Amino acid sequence: MKLTDKLVGAVDKKLRRFDPIWRAENGLGGQRDRYYDKTGVAKWREWRGVRDTLYDYSQWLNNIVSMVQMVGSAPIPCLKGFWEYRWMGSYLGTFMFIDRLFEGYRGTELRIAHMNMHAIVQNLTKKIAFVLSNDQRLGGGPYTDKCIPHDETITQLFLKGFKDLYPVPMQTLPEFIICDIDQHIEPYYIDVAESFGLPADVCSRCAAETGVALDDALPILGKVMLSTNMPCNASEATSMFQRRRIGKPDFPITLAMQHQKPEGLVYSREMLERAIAFVEEHYGVKYDWEELFKYARLMNEQNTIELEKWDYFKTPYSPLSGIAESLYKLFEWQSANGTDPYFNKVDRKVIKIMRKAYEDKYVPFGGRTRHRAFLWGPSAVYYTDFPTWTQNCWGITIVLNMDSTMGYNMIDTSDTDKAMDDLTALTQRACMRHHAVGGWENINAVWDWARAFNCDMVLMNDNIACKGMLGVHAMMEEQARDLGFHFIFIEHDLEDSRTVSRQDMRKCVNNYMSVVLNEKPLDPTIVEFDDSEAY
Amino acid sequence: MKAKTVCKALRLIGSLLGKLCLVALIFFVVTFGIYITNAENKLIYYVIRPFLNKHYDSQVRDRKI
Repeated sequence: MKLTDKLVGAVDKKLRRFDPIWRAENGLGGQRDRYYDKTGVAKWREWRGVRDTLYDYSQWLNNIVSMVQMVGSAPIPCLKGFWEYRWMGSYLGTFMFIDRLFEGYRGTELRIAHMNMHAIVQNLTKKIAFVLSNDQRLGGGPYTDKCIPHDETITQLFLKGFKDLYPVPMQTLPEFIICDIDQHIEPYYIDVAESFGLPADVCSRCAAETGVALDDALPILGKVMLSTNMPCNASEATSMFQRRRIGKPDFPITLAMQHQKPEGLVYSREMLERAIAFVEEHYGVKYDWEELFKYARLMNEQNTIELEKWDYFKTPYSPLSGIAESLYKLFEWQSANGTDPYFNKVDRKVIKIMRKAYEDKYVPFGGRTRHRAFLWGPSAVYYTDFPTWTQNCWGITIVLNMDSTMGYNMIDTSDTDKAMDDLTALTQRACMRHHAVGGWENINAVWDWARAFNCDMVLMNDNIACKGMLGVHAMMEEQARDLGFHFIFIEHDLEDSRTVSRQDMRKCVNNYMSVVLNEKPLDPTIVEFDDSEAY
Repeated sequence: MKAKTVCKALRLIGSLLGKLCLVALIFFVVTFGIYITNAENKLIYYVIRPFLNKHYDSQVRDRKI
């Protein structure tokens, strides 16, 4: 064992001149040296030392295996999908995406990050194979009529009470996930929507979803569809465009906007009950509470572990942070939502590692963290790999993102009446619904979150087309000053990188860190660079 | 006789293990080579995606509303 350590140590010493972190620390370069200009294509993969490079390589293989299994399980539908849907082509950027996300990760951080990422990859690849195999546009399949297509912001969990039916979040594959992987895919769909006169100043996510529908790029499944008004007014509009385009019987699950008020819960609960009745009527099936409780237990376990993770996030000894935490939680909540036991398996492993790291007083990122930040940011932080960049460039650890604060209440698994209330409460606290709309207190909560997680900094994404958030800029600045937080507003146009580029977003942080705080970057090669042609 | 059979079996196992190690080594060298040179991403970015994009751009889609 000791001999191996010695050997590895000797090789590491010999090859450390290829390690971008070592190069940056010694003024010899940094992360950006590896890239061809603008493209985001690396000339070679990051050298992280023998052990971490081999681990990263093994996880690269692991993800390839999932992709091979996907194609192997449905070769013809997958080929048809690649040929038919532009967004399928964008999934080829997944490897580059993962490399970008975990740049600079070493040791325990890297291991947890890959465990989380593989959970996403294995779930997503299975979903793609299933959806394409049953997509009516591609010829349909054995489960086409057994699918319940629903809006992605509605929790899948409550639909798991239909034992022989398969809930499919409609926009997840062609829009929600893929916009994180490829910054060039959504502008195409936005242009499709705008070519019909949709104004260019609406939320780009909703514009993109509309474009996907008009371009006939939404896979068609099931006998009906369940749309929603979540998370905001622009989503209501895109739901209407989608229901018209798809033309199936639709039940719009319009949940209360002011969802924190008790009467909101009563109203929203009734909507969910009516949605259940709608599915029962059209599919001729009965809602099975025992089946629901089976998955609710998985969701409860996920949330129990999540709440324990939060205790570690509050300390300086958490190896889980940034994109590895935020993207996983977003996907786990929004797309797995208690329906995939693999996530429970990963959660159990990760929490064990986190407990050990805390006991050992493990300091992540080689002790290079200078600030602890709470991030209030949607998808623009994923395709820009923003938390990874803030960590590598300025030593700003993103302790928690707003996406991680989605519904974390437990579901009662013995009483159906209580369970219905709990499911409603969970569903109402969906992505963005609980963050940018539904009352001023939702936005104001950012200070409580930041304080509770011992953050000295708040990064707030300013979606320039979000009508819900317009006008809060000055108020937030004022509050940050009063409360003593370092506060950075990061302007972006969500999924349209043409309006505000990645570099423009990074510039907001650069300016604050260099002008206001007078700090020097950890890696000067990534302060300013052009990655406009990268995925 | 018995010792001869055991010897033969051991030789067979040894040669099988040797071949397995060789295959594993070749697999490692090839896949690690692809991994470290980022070859698959270069292929996707410079060859496959431009080809697919050309195809997507030539699709005629019925966008009447």
